[in-house]
Amino acid sequence: MARRTLLGVLPSAVLWGVVFGLFVASSALSYAGIYKTQADRDSLAAAFGANVSTSALFGPAPQLQTVAGFTVFKIWLTVALIGGIWGLMASTKLLRGDEDSGRWELLLSGATTREQATFQVLLGLLGGTVALWIATAALAVATGRSPEFNVAVRPALYLALSLATTAFMFMGVGAFTSQLGAARRQAAAYGGWILGISYALRMVADSGTGLHWLIWTSPLGWVEMLQPLTSPKPISLLPIFGFTCLLGYLSVVLAGRRDVGASLIQERSRSGPRLLLLSGHMGLAVRMLRPVIASWGTAVAAVGVLLGYIAYAAGETLSKSSMQTIYARLGASGAGIKAFLGVSFLMLAVMLSFVAVGQLTAVRAEEADQRLDQFLARPVTRIGWLAGRLAIAVSFLAALGILSGVMAWLGVAIESSAVSLPTLLAAGLNIAAPAVCILGISTLVFGFLPRATAIVGYGLVSWSLLVEFVGGIGALNHWIFDTSLFHQMNAAPAIGPNITSDSWMAAIGVAAALAGCILFARRDIQGG
Amino acid sequence: MTEAAIRTEGLSKFYGSVRALNDLSMEVTAGEVFGFLGPNGAGKTTTIRLLLGLIRPSAGKAEIFGLDSCSEPVEAHRRLSYVPAEAGLWPSLTGEETLHLLGKVNGHVDEVYRDQLVKRFELDSSRKIRAYSRGNRQKVILIAALMSRPDLMIFDEPTSGLDPLMEHEFRNCVSEARQRGQTVFLSSHILSEVEALCDRVAILRNGRLVEIGTLEEMRHLSALKMEITFAKDIPDLSAVPGVATLQSAGRTVSLQLTGPVKPLLEALAASEITELVSREPSLEELFLSLYGEGQLPKASGAHA
Repeated sequence: MARRTLLGVLPSAVLWGVVFGLFVASSALSYAGIYKTQADRDSLAAAFGANVSTSALFGPAPQLQTVAGFTVFKIWLTVALIGGIWGLMASTKLLRGDEDSGRWELLLSGATTREQATFQVLLGLLGGTVALWIATAALAVATGRSPEFNVAVRPALYLALSLATTAFMFMGVGAFTSQLGAARRQAAAYGGWILGISYALRMVADSGTGLHWLIWTSPLGWVEMLQPLTSPKPISLLPIFGFTCLLGYLSVVLAGRRDVGASLIQERSRSGPRLLLLSGHMGLAVRMLRPVIASWGTAVAAVGVLLGYIAYAAGETLSKSSMQTIYARLGASGAGIKAFLGVSFLMLAVMLSFVAVGQLTAVRAEEADQRLDQFLARPVTRIGWLAGRLAIAVSFLAALGILSGVMAWLGVAIESSAVSLPTLLAAGLNIAAPAVCILGISTLVFGFLPRATAIVGYGLVSWSLLVEFVGGIGALNHWIFDTSLFHQMNAAPAIGPNITSDSWMAAIGVAAALAGCILFARRDIQGG
Repeated sequence: MTEAAIRTEGLSKFYGSVRALNDLSMEVTAGEVFGFLGPNGAGKTTTIRLLLGLIRPSAGKAEIFGLDSCSEPVEAHRRLSYVPAEAGLWPSLTGEETLHLLGKVNGHVDEVYRDQLVKRFELDSSRKIRAYSRGNRQKVILIAALMSRPDLMIFDEPTSGLDPLMEHEFRNCVSEARQRGQTVFLSSHILSEVEALCDRVAILRNGRLVEIGTLEEMRHLSALKMEITFAKDIPDLSAVPGVATLQSAGRTVSLQLTGPVKPLLEALAASEITELVSREPSLEELFLSLYGEGQLPKASGAHA
């Protein structure tokens, strides 16, 4: 079973390991190109090294005047969050997901016990983490040999290890929450809350409010404290391994003590009828979306208000720093609070794009699980059903865009009145344009290659993010840079939204969605 | 002229080189209960999904009450309901919420009959789908199909997961539907169910229709089973035309007879017989005779 798990998780582990390694390489090599002189580097360090706002948001930046220090500052949080989500999704899928689908019962009817089976899956997941570490390490070591980076093998391996630890920890978290939640979605949601709380604790710890000790209460804080390449603290590996081993142990024990299919947190198995929204397929879709709307709404609102709040201080330091070069590459020309918000809204644009792909993934799941048959065998047209889902998705994306603008304005308003509500509302709607485009392209894929919907959708978002990330620090020519959908939108509110570009993206999205609807109406319904 | 509830002409579905269904032409008359049999992989579910327009035919066409399944699915679906072998439902909804939703989507529900069905199938509709056993999920989908009293009900292994009491209840519901003039298309592996309910039966094999007709019409395909007990010596019957699988135990002979009975009676005329038992094959025996021995009847009778 360990081998089966490893084979299942290996492709994505290697893929993300390579992506993390590319992050290291691009960040390190481009730094040397942008900050050529020591004076440039000192200026960068002076601007951001002691900035409390950026420290709270992205983590401390102790040695920005070195390639190594900049690289760690630049990538660690992004990698930690992606790795954490990947680890969580992989373990909840292979544990609670398999249990949901009934495969677990088949496995347990063989010569094994629930404890052994869980342990075997955990071993396979551990193998996946090792594969991710090896892939990252290979690229980190290779990059370290370049004269610009000049990092020895051992520190490069330690860097890769620090980048893989969040994935490792959150595989443990996912294994544990798989014992708590009765469905995979629930298990993943519990894990998501742990990741969010972990980030919030780390942020408070780094906010310069005298609560730095909180860093030791946060799993992400432990990863931050590893401090590769700058001032390594391998002692932080102890809580990481201890926490993960404890979660793994608890998962094995709890799996052995509960019934297959049961969970520690019991859902009510019966309830009185709540018929609100159950008048058709669109009402049902809205009802099923409510937890998703609540989760993403909370996340977007929190990020929006946080970015707005720190924008004033960050904008002030940005005005004096050479980071303007990077911001300008990302489209946020100018300086100050608006430039900072311009780049910050990119983060929200990425979140909205993930929401868009998530909507199509849910649509595909309806088909794969044969719930769609219940509608299509009744007087419901295929195009009507899919168009309804798309209308809900577009409304949701627009609402999230507006919410992000309002919340960012509220955050800004605490410190300053430098940016008006209409400006930030326009910035919020601006980030919905690439999300609508991605939604349309994902619909097109769903229309003719439904099983590839998720991989193409998430791949497009990841590619756009990677290109934007690498391009932002000057490592790409504009032809490749232009393939990023995020690069096609203006970095509002740094500059006003480009209505033409946004309209093109929306039009491409709508055209692709229409084509997807037509293709869907003509193809076979395909189960999972 | 009686209206056709289902009509297929040359209906075919190919997946690359695999012929899941090949040139199916048949007609189900409105008001009849029609059994659809075949081993696993014969093409039964493929046929049903083609009838519902969930998949597109590679060739031929399917009609529901004269409406093309592909081009007029919504109009066709207004007159039918469908029960799959294993229903995909929404785990967080209760049974009652699911029935309410599916009723709203259907557009018309006999609410009194729905409540009766809930009682008859002993469904606790306040429980969430996630908490239901497979059999209870199947009850939800059966009630959802029956409660709108459609003109045509298409069942694909409808009683899988149901206990014998509920299977019996299902048979009662189908009988009532027949009395009301509803058409039932029943794909099932439970041959006794088909035998008890169906007016006509079609049998598929390897994607081809190999037999269609009433049970009476189909019984001629299988041998008559006979047991003959003689008072004295047993005559040699091996040369009698149509006689096969002769077995003797003491003074009793078991045999199978195909074709006319007259040659056998002539061979027995000189013997003193104390007991002669003859019975027609059950549907199960008929089915096994078609598949168990690898015989493939001629397709001449395969078009109704």
